[in-house]
Amino acid sequence: MIRLSGIARTFLVGGEEVHALRAVDLGIAHGEYLSIMGPSGSGKSTLLNIIGLLDRPDTGTYELDAKNVTALSDDELARVRREKIGFVFQFFHLVPRLTAAQNIELPMVLAGIDPAARRPRLARLLAEYGLEERAGHRPDQLSGGQCQRVAIARAMSMGPTVILADEPTGNLDRHTGQEVLGVLERVHHNGGTVVVVTHDPEIGARSQRRLRMLDGAVVADEKG
Amino acid sequence: MRLADLFDFAWQVLRSSISRTLLILLAMGIGVAAVVVVTSLGEGARLYVANQFGSLGTNLIIVLPGRSETSGGMPGVLIGKTPRNLTLEDALALKRSHAIRRFAPLIIGAGDVRAGALSRETPVLGSTAELMDIRHMEMAQGSFLPPGDPRHSQPVCVIGAKVANELFGSRPALGEWVRIGDRRFRVIGILAAQGQSLGFNTDEIVIVPLAAAQALFNTESLFRILVEAKSREQIAAAKADVEEIVRLRHEGERDVTVITQDAVLATFDRILRALTLTVASIAAISLAVAGILIMNVMLIAVTQRRREIGLLKALGATGHQIQLAFFTEALLLALGGAVAGLAVGELGRSFAVQMYPAIPFQAPWWALAAAPATALLTAVLFTVAPARRAARLDPVQALSRR
Repeated sequence: MIRLSGIARTFLVGGEEVHALRAVDLGIAHGEYLSIMGPSGSGKSTLLNIIGLLDRPDTGTYELDAKNVTALSDDELARVRREKIGFVFQFFHLVPRLTAAQNIELPMVLAGIDPAARRPRLARLLAEYGLEERAGHRPDQLSGGQCQRVAIARAMSMGPTVILADEPTGNLDRHTGQEVLGVLERVHHNGGTVVVVTHDPEIGARSQRRLRMLDGAVVADEKG
Repeated sequence: MRLADLFDFAWQVLRSSISRTLLILLAMGIGVAAVVVVTSLGEGARLYVANQFGSLGTNLIIVLPGRSETSGGMPGVLIGKTPRNLTLEDALALKRSHAIRRFAPLIIGAGDVRAGALSRETPVLGSTAELMDIRHMEMAQGSFLPPGDPRHSQPVCVIGAKVANELFGSRPALGEWVRIGDRRFRVIGILAAQGQSLGFNTDEIVIVPLAAAQALFNTESLFRILVEAKSREQIAAAKADVEEIVRLRHEGERDVTVITQDAVLATFDRILRALTLTVASIAAISLAVAGILIMNVMLIAVTQRRREIGLLKALGATGHQIQLAFFTEALLLALGGAVAGLAVGELGRSFAVQMYPAIPFQAPWWALAAAPATALLTAVLFTVAPARRAARLDPVQALSRR
């Protein structure tokens, strides 16, 4: 489903070339639950951004759903992102002036889906992530866990091919973090593909496939 | 993104930072209102002047003695010329022209008008029956001067509304005798109150037959001849006729000045229009300033909403959509400012009308269209740069910063 071959990405930091990724080959199958671990600066976030089409590799090819997306234009990438990728961020990134429901609805609004078609989908998402009573609240009236549930519901709203979560529990206490992880795992159990970037080995250990990165290269790929 | 959603999204932004929104609305509103008020004043002045000229008569040509060209340099005595008077015979000769519908010779003097023990110094006009139609005068009571040969006169007069009130009070003035100088006149008509028109108040005059005025002021020469052309198109022909007829009668000398009402009006019209345009453009500068304010605020918004823009991109918004969102926001602001400005401008206009009811203050249609259009245009124009900056934002960087 996702096939990266020879992906490299170099940044120029203070006149010095930093190899964030060096020729990474990676395949992710449909329905996989994958964690990417490694120290900071190991390239795991860059890898996630490239999988999420937010960043472009300098070299290499990326196939998403058997389609080469390496050479797409910015607008085409935005459309693919909208249809196939769901993001969950460490700092939630909810729009502060919008209610929980409006935040969840946002990708559908951007996609130009008719309000009549949005309503039942929104109701289903609110119910599925236990947010019905919080639908009219703004992010500053929600707890961290609730915020992240809103973010996951938003990521799921377009029925994406893959959910990409960057340190989804990094800004939450242990208990809430477990709960949010549970929500992500439920997405996986329902057949979704989930990629989690974390530096917490305990969280990484819960996934069925664990990638370990160091200095821009995948150094370990364990399953089971 | 659907249009309704786009507006909804912009609306949410504007509502969430209400003081910022109100400030821009204020700036935009002031600009639009200034244009509307200023053009209302200018247009009001223009219409006022036009009305004043209109009340003088239609298709009017005014003939006055003396010429306006410069010539000679030597006094007339030395070259055997004397300034010729405009006489009743000159006026009567105008009957020959086919372009002229009617004319009224005019003599003006000041007279002491007495009725019983009351006496009043008023302007006394000597003229003929045609004056009423030429000058669009209206009678309150009685009739105007009787038609007939202007060389002979009956001892009758027509008095202005104020004169009647001053001399006779509530008593009926019609049929009473008044004394002007050493002559007696019977009052046969009272003019309807019309008020001031171009510095001449018909409420305060007494009109007597031309021959009577000639005797009264002991003069043959006319003050003016008022000529009415048959139509607007005939004005030029009538003017040429007047000049030619008088020149022939004055031994080939062009010693009268002929003014057409149209020419005077057109001059005033040009001047006042130019003034209005100039002042309106100055007012429009405030619109440009409001546009710059919008750009400023939008640039700040791009910086403030970096994370949000990055997020929208991550959620699949194209650069085009982000630009549209910013344009919609600016457009809503300009629209609100324009509506508020038009309302305030209308308020200012009606206030001016309250203060000076005589002047028809009215914003011209082009100003009512141009002011909001300029507001919208500057808003959109000044949003181009911020919107493009937002659209180009790198989502990875925008999202990585807290």
